[in-house]
Amino acid sequence: MSDTSAPPPGGTPIPTTIGFNVFVGPIYQFDDEGDTSRFGFVAETRHMNSAGAVHGGMLMTIADVAMTRTARASVGGRRCTTVSLNCDFIAAAKEGETVMARVRITRRTRSLVFLTTDVMAGDRLALSATGIWKILDVEPAQ
Amino acid sequence: MRALPEGYVEARLIDPFELYVGPVFARGDAGARTYAFRVDERHVNARSGVHGGMLLTFADCALGQAVWDATDNAPSVTLNMQGHFLKPARLGALVEVAPELTHKTRGFVFARGIFTADGEPVMSATSLWKLFLPR
Repeated sequence: MSDTSAPPPGGTPIPTTIGFNVFVGPIYQFDDEGDTSRFGFVAETRHMNSAGAVHGGMLMTIADVAMTRTARASVGGRRCTTVSLNCDFIAAAKEGETVMARVRITRRTRSLVFLTTDVMAGDRLALSATGIWKILDVEPAQ
Repeated sequence: MRALPEGYVEARLIDPFELYVGPVFARGDAGARTYAFRVDERHVNARSGVHGGMLLTFADCALGQAVWDATDNAPSVTLNMQGHFLKPARLGALVEVAPELTHKTRGFVFARGIFTADGEPVMSATSLWKLFLPR
């Protein structure tokens, strides 16, 4: 088992107390780099597949969490939900690595947020994702 | 939440992450199996709907099992997975899918599924798998 008692450098646990984010976490947020927001986790034995790589479901989960939180932060905390998420699996992430989703917003409309994410394992691109989020609490048209 | 849904047996999984989020259930014969999981407190988001990450994890598991069955257990990896989220799946719901293999070549399998929660469609997923067959 890898030691995950200490958070990765620069990581602050996301404020969540229930459900899947707690169960698969801890999930950390890192300082933005320019227009890129960053969320990650440290890959433990429970996150792996039988081939010794981080399970695709966990890679898609960190992408989904990172994109949801980025979308929500961009609209003043209004709730956002995933409509479409498309993931290409580029390379394997290994146990013990900090897996980091780097998210940028491609476009935002009154009711939608388009996002793109690179999920990195160290210096390697592990998963490339694009997605569309719906803003649930849409402001009335002026 | 470990109670078996009617007609199902527990699927034999080996990936640590699938065992961690499971159990996953299966019924039917190889090549025509249906897969299921019961949404419990571990699987939800802040709105008590199933987390998108859990639905996609289940999709990777169930569609992967169908690919495995269709290829005489050839090693494979997920190349692409796309989920369209139709409506929320609620705490306590039984999420089910009957995977459909769209096309198979020497190197690839295309697989998709409509995922339901207590019979209502909640996610449509398409996927592409790379096979590693002996030369």
